[in-house]
Amino acid sequence: MEARKILLTEDEMPRRWYNILADIKMNPPLGPDGKPVKAEDLAPVFPMNLIEQEVSDQRWIDIPEPVLEVLATWRPAPLVRALSLEKALQTPAKIYFKNESVSPPGSHKPNTAVPQAYYNKVFGIERMTTETGAGQWGSALSYACSQFGLECKVFMVRVSFDQKPYRKSMMAAWGGKCVPSPSTETRAGREALEKDPHTPGSLGIAISEAIEAAVADGSGKTRYSLGSVLNHVMLHQTIIGLEARKQFEKIGLYPDVVVGCAGGGSNFAGLAFPFVLDKMNGKQVEIYPVEPAACPTLTKAPFVYDHGDTAGYTPLLPMHSLGHAFVPPPFHAGGLRYHGMAPTVSQLVTEGLITPRSVTQLDAYQAGVLTARTEGFIPAPETTHALAVVVEEARKAKEEGKQKVIVFNWSGHGLLDLGAYERYFCGELENYELSDTEIAQGESIFRNYPKPKLLKSGS
Amino acid sequence: MKPDQYDELERRCPRLGGPVTFHYCRTSGQEPPQCWKVIDCWWERFDVVAYLRVHTAPSEFDSLAAAKPKPKVATLVDLIRRARAAAGNDDT
Repeated sequence: MEARKILLTEDEMPRRWYNILADIKMNPPLGPDGKPVKAEDLAPVFPMNLIEQEVSDQRWIDIPEPVLEVLATWRPAPLVRALSLEKALQTPAKIYFKNESVSPPGSHKPNTAVPQAYYNKVFGIERMTTETGAGQWGSALSYACSQFGLECKVFMVRVSFDQKPYRKSMMAAWGGKCVPSPSTETRAGREALEKDPHTPGSLGIAISEAIEAAVADGSGKTRYSLGSVLNHVMLHQTIIGLEARKQFEKIGLYPDVVVGCAGGGSNFAGLAFPFVLDKMNGKQVEIYPVEPAACPTLTKAPFVYDHGDTAGYTPLLPMHSLGHAFVPPPFHAGGLRYHGMAPTVSQLVTEGLITPRSVTQLDAYQAGVLTARTEGFIPAPETTHALAVVVEEARKAKEEGKQKVIVFNWSGHGLLDLGAYERYFCGELENYELSDTEIAQGESIFRNYPKPKLLKSGS
Repeated sequence: MKPDQYDELERRCPRLGGPVTFHYCRTSGQEPPQCWKVIDCWWERFDVVAYLRVHTAPSEFDSLAAAKPKPKVATLVDLIRRARAAAGNDDT
């Protein structure tokens, strides 16, 4: 029987995270006044030990023993050979995935929730707050807080709270308190409810509530937590890629292609950053962050944002006019930022170290269903985006007759996202294309906006 | 073109991670009332720019077209300052 899983023992679990800030140049984050953010600006919501990680340029950062002990509940996560998927695709490629769905909450999110809860605990914090959209992050933080005896309050956007009642129950099972946002517990929530008692809420209001709940605690024992975008979140997630490298070493292989879906960037960064380090050191490896073709941020967003002033982003031109194969050219280091994407991931695109790709929702679900029917696990909708590119690369390998090694991050299971699968099975999902006329109209509307400076770092 | 003409259309919100209707996207923002990603997310489904031209004030349209989302850290610092001011412990 061919080996399906490549496992590490708990002793082999990485003892250090990889900090990519040691290897790329980034401008310091700027505050609303355009001046660099100081540690004390963030101190009301983050403990100083996490703020130090946020700005650290130390390449390797030790993982505390108590964090390793909790992570060992499910880590090291298996590196799985997708033999059945390979067979279905009749590809010579070897396809592997890091199965991050084996964590208690079913996603990669606890890789950062656990250390964040730990650092808060040792800083003397007793309660944590956060916001959540569909509930994946709120579940992860509730779980992590339960491991360190912290209280957890999650403000979940009302529209999602109503759609996914089981998320509240999951959080409650770990002792987390999930309230729909807007709530009556904060001034921000009450103001929103006064304007519209039936408001479905928004992520903006939920973040305001979570921050307010942390700041308003006069005892100083409450802090806030964020599950994506920030540097320390990317750092904690690198345990995924560091494990994967060791697992490949065990079988004497190295991936030709690394794939991860990219929303806020954390699951992609977790798998990819250690391989980016290798690439910077001369390894040949293609690294693809994958996003939805509809509402993209890295590949062909309708607008590109310049950095004409020090703090802001100005929309420049409708990128869809450049066609579906368009990949943004490199931009000035530290200048371009993509909406909602981790600055470090954006910077790697800018530097040409990773190549963003986009897939349509039908291709994504088709790949997800094919994988469910071959490998058995039902992937989260985000994971299906990575899978669509994996399928594409596997077919390309077949055409070229190449035995490529492909690895992707299985960021979570889709067992709480079955509504989306249902719509796919009912034929309610469609792909959309703009006509040339519509593209021309789009261009004409924005023709008077300023054009971008297409500069690369060092130019 | 009626204001609610596209309200029932549904898509996955990349920020929330779940399905939302266009009605949600055109009403869930604060200033302006539309989500700042409304153009990014809906341009493939229908001519959302033409729709917004008709159904938003020129200043609101400009604000959406020139949406300037802050980097996350700047957003957090801003929210912290507001929350501290509201709690009466603003020392800035």
